[in-house]
Amino acid sequence: MNSNPEGHGNAQASIPSRLESRASRWRRPMGYLLAALGAAYAWSVMSAPIDSTQGIIQKILYIHPPLAYGAYLGFVITGVGGVLFLARQREDLDRLAVASAEVGVIFCTLMLVTGPIWARGTWGVWWSWDARLTVTLLLWFVYLAYLLLRSFSGSSPRTARFAAIYGVVGLVLIPLNYYVIEIFGSRSMHPENLERGSLGDGMGLPFLLGNLTLALAFFYLLILRWEVEAQRRLDDASTSSGA
Amino acid sequence: MNVALAILWKDLVSEWRSRDRVMAMLVFSILVAVVFYFALPMLRPEELSALAPGLLWTAYLFSALLGLNRSFALELENDALAGLALAPGNRGWIFLGKAAANWVLISIVQILTAGVFALFYGIDLVPALPGLATVVGLGTVGICAAGTLLAPMAVRTGFREVLLPVLLLPALFPILAGAVEGSGAAVAGRPIPFAALQLLLVTDGIYLIVAFLGFDYVLDE
Repeated sequence: MNSNPEGHGNAQASIPSRLESRASRWRRPMGYLLAALGAAYAWSVMSAPIDSTQGIIQKILYIHPPLAYGAYLGFVITGVGGVLFLARQREDLDRLAVASAEVGVIFCTLMLVTGPIWARGTWGVWWSWDARLTVTLLLWFVYLAYLLLRSFSGSSPRTARFAAIYGVVGLVLIPLNYYVIEIFGSRSMHPENLERGSLGDGMGLPFLLGNLTLALAFFYLLILRWEVEAQRRLDDASTSSGA
Repeated sequence: MNVALAILWKDLVSEWRSRDRVMAMLVFSILVAVVFYFALPMLRPEELSALAPGLLWTAYLFSALLGLNRSFALELENDALAGLALAPGNRGWIFLGKAAANWVLISIVQILTAGVFALFYGIDLVPALPGLATVVGLGTVGICAAGTLLAPMAVRTGFREVLLPVLLLPALFPILAGAVEGSGAAVAGRPIPFAALQLLLVTDGIYLIVAFLGFDYVLDE
């Protein structure tokens, strides 16, 4: 990947960039794979055993944690994309950061919707100020603010810089917030982790498929959104040049 | 370094001449204290004083937002921000100067606000003072570091007054968690938990570093 040393300031690199075209080529095959995996996932969730204590509601397990991983992945890509954009002045990485923030917010929103449904069924309340829940909610606000910052300041190189800096703040907040949980998180209602054999018989496969499917869905949406952003910049460039 | 001191001095002098920012923040904080009294009429006085550290930090946060917004809104007049950006040397020093000035002004307001809260909610401030001062001082470093980084972004968008709280508040959760924990211990006469101080120090350090390095891109014209 060339770092485009002349690309400082406003000098327009080609849109889509080489990285973007390369990513785009992966999108269609990923879509087919996603359709196939999605079907297998749906089937495995339906045929998974019903939990003896929680009942049918436990099946949210197959979607809730994978959504969380997607959300965090999105936020990390936003932060790292922003840092690389600042360091190397590559606008395609800024476009990646926007795309990733939006997809991450969608995943995070879905997680925050599925969580209370599950909580109502098992904890008996829609919402508890559980440490992990609170931290994720705050992170959701950070990335909503990121998107607001972008939409309030229009599309300009300055917006991209501001957003990149804010993305870095979001990135450092993730470990910081987990540090807060570590210190004050004794009230947590979330299990410590799922891996240590806490999944019952027949629940491993749908959980694994859920993770794979949603990870694939994440990257599919990310690339799609990235393409849209590139197209949008292209349109902006052509209208502003008076074509 | 000289740049930082020059900017600190400039901000303090201009505030001394008008005193409007400190007055606005102070009046606002006192109003918040009064609002809490009316918002929580069902509580007995001793219950209110147990809540006081949380209420105090709510007042601190909102008045700090007011002051931080103003600190850069002022620089927009006559394009002073562009002038600042032209100052020679690393822009991180400009950040430090602005952040230090904000810290001084916000701290003055906080000391006076703490007095008002102590009066209204019956807190015995004198024994709590060393602990409370440490926690509040450290917490405010974090607020000023993050706020001084984000305020110049917020003031240059179309929604300047609205955007700063939206950007800043979710970033201040680690500060708030540590500060409320520490202040509660100080007011209750307990020793301040080390975890709270550690959290404040780590968060302050990280925000100071991010802001020092990132300010270059925020001020860039």
